[in-house]
Amino acid sequence: MEKLSFKADVSSPSVEFDPVTGLLQIGGESYPENSFEFYAPVIAWLRGFLAETKGAVKLRVSLSYLNTSSTKCMIDMLDDLEAAHSRGLPVEVEWLYDEDNERAKDTIDEFKEDFTMPFAVIAVKE
Amino acid sequence: MAGFDLFALRDVFADQGVMICFNGPFSHSVIEELGIAVRKYLESADAPTSRVADVFAVFVEQAQNLKNYTSRETLGREDGGSHRSGTLVIAREGERYVVSSGNMVRSEDIGRVVDRLKALDGLDKAALKVAYKERLHGSAQEENGAGLGFIDMARRAAEPLRFSVRELTGDLVFFSISVLI
Repeated sequence: MEKLSFKADVSSPSVEFDPVTGLLQIGGESYPENSFEFYAPVIAWLRGFLAETKGAVKLRVSLSYLNTSSTKCMIDMLDDLEAAHSRGLPVEVEWLYDEDNERAKDTIDEFKEDFTMPFAVIAVKE
Repeated sequence: MAGFDLFALRDVFADQGVMICFNGPFSHSVIEELGIAVRKYLESADAPTSRVADVFAVFVEQAQNLKNYTSRETLGREDGGSHRSGTLVIAREGERYVVSSGNMVRSEDIGRVVDRLKALDGLDKAALKVAYKERLHGSAQEENGAGLGFIDMARRAAEPLRFSVRELTGDLVFFSISVLI
């Protein structure tokens, strides 16, 4: 599988998904013109990867903002990771947020509630 | 344009505490640029980080709803005029901020919008959270996701969402929504 790599712009996040290390990183802003179009190849890549990998998978998210349609796409990806976790794949999620932004923490804590896979919510100083 | 009184317009904005106003056709690049301006403005006004995040989020949802709706082909007409543009205002109200926007909507579409907003009226924060999660985990991709957007705005708002529909002649109405943060 090829590495998936998108550069960030004003409203779209950077994506660095490495099939060799199993580290999948998304960071920046996420309110693209069409979220479903933007995330379709990302979700497709993740599904393909989860279907064939045997190793550990870590999703590291450092998005300062997600609009609601990006949030829906992100939940789709978390659902896929959760399914992989349920069938025994070592999966973990690490979600970074600006320590001054309590609202961001509330939002991530709420995502976390719906999953049983390891899910760390980490404050960082911006 | 010789007779256009910009000073009077400026007075109106000052009276109403308007910080940022955009009127015209919304494109994605307009949303990006305005978004940067909104954040910088609020940060320079020393607004708390969580409030900046809420104002920014409500701005993006409103601006994207506006753009998605007004750029839809069904609204396209020969005259290409005012129904393609929208108005968005961010104003200060004491310690709080108000994000408002308005645009022309086809009469046949407005019922659905109003129903969605009425369904949220009277829901407390806990009930809004339940509604949000239901919509978030639902499998059907809502058209333009406006349903989730309204719930998100209501959750970030300090009081229930305010909206109005002004009947106009013909098959268009003017819809506006206002969110206090």
